Amino acid sequence: MSFDWMKIPYALLTVFIVFNYGLLLGALIQKIGARAGRRHGIPIWQNYIDLIKNYGQRTSITHGVMFYLGPVFRLTGGIGLLLFVPTIYGSYMFSNLSFAGDLILALYFVFFGTLGMALGAGESGHPHAAIGITRGLSQVSVAELPFALAVFAVALQYQTLSVTDIVAAQQGGMLNWTLFTNPLAVAAAMLAFLGSMMRPPFDVVIAPQEIPIGPPTEYHSAYLALMQTNRAIFPVAKMVIYMNLFFGGATSWPEFAVKVFLLYLFSAFVGVCFPRFRVEQSIRWFLIWAVPLGVLAILWV
Amino acid sequence: MISLAQMAMAAGFILILIGFYGALTQRNLLRMIVAFTIADTGVNIVLVAVGHMRGRTAPILDVAVPAADAVARVIDPVPQALVLTAIVIGLGVTALMLAYALKLHARKHTLDIAKMTELKW
Amino acid sequence: MVSALHIITAALAAAFLMGLLKEQQRGLAFGITLVTLAFMSWISAGWLWTFASTDTAAVEIFTAGTQPPFAINLRIGLAEAALTLLINLTGLFSALALKDTLLALGRRAMAVWLVAVMALSGIVLTRDLFNLFVFFEMTVIATAGLVLLSEHSKNDGQALAAGFKYLVVSQFISAFLLIGIIFAYHTTGTLNIDGMAAAAPLLSGSAAQAFSLAFFLIFIAIVAELKPFPANGWALDIYESAHPAFSALFSAATGAAALFAVDKLLLIGGDAWLPMATGIGIITFIAANLLALPQTNDRRLLGYSSIAQTGLILAVLGQRDILGDHTLYIAGGLLLSHAVAKAGLFWLSGLIAERGLEAWAALRGHPVLIFAFVSFICMLTGLPPFPGFYAKWELIHLLAGEGRIALLGLILLGALIEAGYLFRWFGYIMKREAPAEVVDNAAHKVVAVIAALAAAWALSLVWGELSVLQFERGNLLLALPLLFALTFLALDPLPAWLKNTLAIAGLLAWFYLTYTEYDPLRMIFAVIFLIGGSLTLLASYHAHGQRSGFYPSAMLMFAGLAMLIRATDTFDFFVAWELLTVGSYFLILRGKHSEPHALSYILFSLGGAFLILAGFALATQGAPHFDLSALADLVQPLAPWVFLLLAIGFMTKTAAIGLHIWLPGAHAEAETDVSPMVSGILLKAGLYGLIVLLLTMGRQDFYGVELINVMLWIGAITALIGNLLAIFQEDAKRLLAYSSIGQMGYAMFGLALMNHLGWLMALMFVINHYVYKSMLFLSIGGVAKRTGTREMYRMGGLITLMPLSFIATLIGIIAVSGVPPLSGFGGRWIFYNAILTAEARLPMVIIFLAGPIAFLYLFRLIYTIFLGQLKDEFRRVKEAPFWIVLPQMIYVAILLVVAVVPGLVLRHVDSYLNAFFPNGGLVWEGSTITSQFGYWNPVAIMIIVGVIFMTLFAWLLFVNRRAQKVKQFNIVFSAERPFRPETTHFAWNFFAPYRKALGFLTLPLATMFWSTVTDLLHTAGDLARRFYTGNGQTYAFHLLAFVMIVYLFGMGVRP
Repeated sequence: MSFDWMKIPYALLTVFIVFNYGLLLGALIQKIGARAGRRHGIPIWQNYIDLIKNYGQRTSITHGVMFYLGPVFRLTGGIGLLLFVPTIYGSYMFSNLSFAGDLILALYFVFFGTLGMALGAGESGHPHAAIGITRGLSQVSVAELPFALAVFAVALQYQTLSVTDIVAAQQGGMLNWTLFTNPLAVAAAMLAFLGSMMRPPFDVVIAPQEIPIGPPTEYHSAYLALMQTNRAIFPVAKMVIYMNLFFGGATSWPEFAVKVFLLYLFSAFVGVCFPRFRVEQSIRWFLIWAVPLGVLAILWV
Repeated sequence: MISLAQMAMAAGFILILIGFYGALTQRNLLRMIVAFTIADTGVNIVLVAVGHMRGRTAPILDVAVPAADAVARVIDPVPQALVLTAIVIGLGVTALMLAYALKLHARKHTLDIAKMTELKW
Repeated sequence: MVSALHIITAALAAAFLMGLLKEQQRGLAFGITLVTLAFMSWISAGWLWTFASTDTAAVEIFTAGTQPPFAINLRIGLAEAALTLLINLTGLFSALALKDTLLALGRRAMAVWLVAVMALSGIVLTRDLFNLFVFFEMTVIATAGLVLLSEHSKNDGQALAAGFKYLVVSQFISAFLLIGIIFAYHTTGTLNIDGMAAAAPLLSGSAAQAFSLAFFLIFIAIVAELKPFPANGWALDIYESAHPAFSALFSAATGAAALFAVDKLLLIGGDAWLPMATGIGIITFIAANLLALPQTNDRRLLGYSSIAQTGLILAVLGQRDILGDHTLYIAGGLLLSHAVAKAGLFWLSGLIAERGLEAWAALRGHPVLIFAFVSFICMLTGLPPFPGFYAKWELIHLLAGEGRIALLGLILLGALIEAGYLFRWFGYIMKREAPAEVVDNAAHKVVAVIAALAAAWALSLVWGELSVLQFERGNLLLALPLLFALTFLALDPLPAWLKNTLAIAGLLAWFYLTYTEYDPLRMIFAVIFLIGGSLTLLASYHAHGQRSGFYPSAMLMFAGLAMLIRATDTFDFFVAWELLTVGSYFLILRGKHSEPHALSYILFSLGGAFLILAGFALATQGAPHFDLSALADLVQPLAPWVFLLLAIGFMTKTAAIGLHIWLPGAHAEAETDVSPMVSGILLKAGLYGLIVLLLTMGRQDFYGVELINVMLWIGAITALIGNLLAIFQEDAKRLLAYSSIGQMGYAMFGLALMNHLGWLMALMFVINHYVYKSMLFLSIGGVAKRTGTREMYRMGGLITLMPLSFIATLIGIIAVSGVPPLSGFGGRWIFYNAILTAEARLPMVIIFLAGPIAFLYLFRLIYTIFLGQLKDEFRRVKEAPFWIVLPQMIYVAILLVVAVVPGLVLRHVDSYLNAFFPNGGLVWEGSTITSQFGYWNPVAIMIIVGVIFMTLFAWLLFVNRRAQKVKQFNIVFSAERPFRPETTHFAWNFFAPYRKALGFLTLPLATMFWSTVTDLLHTAGDLARRFYTGNGQTYAFHLLAFVMIVYLFGMGVRP
């Protein structure tokens, strides 16, 4: 795999598709969640409206350089994550920029945006931003553990760290999916998935009640617009990784759409059923329920 | 039959024990010094007793003991020489202890060794 | 050659001459005393020169014109000449130090002084048993007289009481001695020592039994003169109350003479008596050191230390059956070290007004005296290049070779305790408040100290030469790096910038001289130690003035590091190890509040060093030389033990969990430019040791346990606990220090994987950790310097005031956390590839947990310091000094370069590792790096991330072009507009939920364990010393009980 210039427009195309899909999907899940709560919910195009509104705001302020750069970091993280992983298996067009690195690159690049955004929010000087970040970091440090174990198990299972190779190994029928060949790892990873989707019971980080929307609390106008863009792209990028690792990847966009939707729905489904954990509760929960599954998964491979 | 030398040696050891006992139990400095002189005497008696040989004469070469047969007739002179030295040294140490006792009394107005324990641990 | 008999006659003649002088002619009398002592020394020196330079046999001196046994004979040989020289010189310089007192007391005191020195020389010279008794009694009388020297109105007759107690005990001793002598004479018919030694083995039956009993009495009486535990309360009282100049004589000369007397007696008794000597000696060594721990009076402490050292040498004499020809070299080295150092310390004590240990802080204004103190305690502790070091090395090796492991262990334990109180004392000197009383630096008193100092270094040179001659080892004092470091002692008065330039030039020059010698692996360490060291030293340009003491310490550490990577055999390696330990200790001690931390650092390090010494000794098994590479040839059952000892030893330096408690304080409290040295550079020495160990010994099976797996676990747990503890620190430098513990855990983990990529990762950690930890310590140190605090919650919002420090910190934390595109990611990538081939999987779980935790403390570090709310008191803070910022910017550049082209360094190491781990290397194609599992293209990553970032940034700039910069409090929360940064800056107890959930993992178990150990030792010492009630009769009883017990134990086991 190497670089050629055609990859750039192809990659932009991927970003464009995922961006739009992510905006719609986010609203759809929102709506499903509302309906489950017997509310009407937002229109499906609500995210577009918000985005346009935020880009169009006339006043904007800045607290300093890092504050300014925070959303840039955040969105770079999201787009980079998406592009470092092939979206559609077997398609040269949508293999993106995965020549730059393997699974490990993707996993560590997740933190690029998180860190940058945390720094930017930190410079605002708003204590709620910092509180939200400490909660988020605390939670994610443990929530990532079962996922890391699952990834390790999968890499051991397929003896490769290349996402393409992992997907290739799962082709030829549903029973070849990691979901069935290594259910423990998938179980651990799916529990970790809940922790990273910012939905109940693990959404205290951006808890709307106690801390106004957590880390991005001071962000507004174009900053917020960039972050919203990321909100559309980042979860999808993440689910692409899940899809590739555990659910056989996608060979076409429709398959992609369905799988990502179902994955998203899973977190929303759990979210509407359970109340919120405090941070230390979720730490304990992951250590007690998810980590042992991951440990079993790597021992079992 | 117990020989004179054995009796002397026994007496010497008894004196040593008495002296040591006194030195360990008497708290008065002067009494301790006296006890030590008793022990010293005991040690000296033991020394002499070890050197004693039955039926021989003093190791002085004169008319009575010609040099030629001295080896067979006199007792071993070395212990006697040692005793002399030991007595001198014992005297020196005793004198020094007495001087110490005097100074200690002048300074502390007591002769009780149990009261001289500022330095410890 | 002047007959050695004149040592005695000269003293006697001078003493008689004193009687002829008038009472007023004190100056003349003092002059005669000095001249006589100098003459006596000159005689000894002449003989010493003769024996040392030519192969002359010992010379017999006959008296009374008759051969022994009919007359007394004396003998002078090499040992006698050396010892009498020691005694006479101690007498001379002590007399000098005593000048005021001797002049005040007059000629009689001087006569007694001369007689004391003469009697001690006599003990050494005589070959007649009764004559020995006479000289001992003369010593007793003279000692009792000289104790009175310090008698004055202030001390309430303490010296009087001590002298009397001494006389009481010596009465018992002389009774034993006399009775023993007479019966020994009775059975063997001679008083001559050599004659008796010849006659004793021929005895049989009841005569043999009688002789054995008589000899026991003589032996125990002479041993009692060595102040064995517990029959030594009297001696301690003397040490405490006597004039220090006399104590110097009492410790150095009397101890040496009595030890030599024991040596002569052992000649008579033969090998059967050696275990008894060893037993008494080692018990005394341990007990006296333990009892010294709770001492607060300097002279009493020195007394305990003297007793301990004497015990050690007695134990060594008891090992003469295996030491053979080396007895003189070993026992002599220890004895002279002890004598010179102790005399020097007692003389120093004479310069100090108060008796508390803290009062010695008065020395602080006197660099030469400090240097003397340091030399003396290093000499006592047996650190290179002093004779005690050579002696200890050979002793431990011989003991290990003969399998006397218990004794070996006890000796090292005692030495560690001793180092504990000596270095604690040094900490007091450097860090405690100086007392009002200044040092009494009268020339005649200082001369004595300087003489001891000169003797200390001269002896080091001599023992170094001896080690060249006898063992073909190097003379340490002539090793170029060490010499270079010592040169800075002389250069100390120069301004700091000049010395700094010299230091940097020295490091670079040494690298230039040696760079051809290193293989790629060592090259990494050479670059970090030498080039990295000079880079760190750039920061030292910020210091103004003279910076006294910094450069000798720093260069000593660098000398050790430079020697470490060139060492090929165990001796050189261990020397380098000790040097870098001591140097870094002095460096760490320079921090303002680092006294307790430096102490725990040196104790852990010395403990570790002793384990390494024991490991090397076990491995060597008596061979004269042992190459490090020969470790590979060791086999069961020895090999795993060696591995264990060495591994634990090295792990004390890398601060593995359980042995880590010294690190946070030591690194955090060190000076701004010292922290990067001891963290970024020094920690690598431990890793280097582990690498050498694992390269040679590899996998070892210890009773069914694969040791490398244990190390894997230790590495993983260290990484987790280090990181976890880091997130709860409020102190920024402590946070970095704990982070180092975690990072070292990673590196250990990588090494313990024992595969190609694991090692590559460990080496990458070595490089990365050097760069980013040095950088972070410098930037945080700069901030701490400007704000005057290291508490992060007191800072905040410094980004605009210290932008460069912020950039360095930002780059640093991105690199530490392993986020692409910076160089830390390479380490993580290799790590994941490495563990895929590893066998043990459970430790991975722990290390996986440790990884993300790093984000927590890193974010905390940068947020609470640079972001958030700026405090009012820091509104005028400036950027860190130029010289502190400059190296940071260089590090930033290095990090960026290494991030894009990691192959610059790693390629060579990768191919070098193929020799050891042929499988699983990386493939380097263009800019893509491929492993057997995955691939990674750092250049592409950097470009992609850069392009996306810049595009988005440009987009934001475009849509957000009207953004206004707002003031600090332009935020609203909880329906209020805040106005106080203190209540708005969220920073204290930053990760409270984490503490709630996982705080139980951070219980300071290791700290509790080690403080319990030290408390127990202290309490044991404190309780045991109550045993010395101060009552003379109790002391006498102790002596009798000691005799009984030794008799019951000793005679029971004797044939």
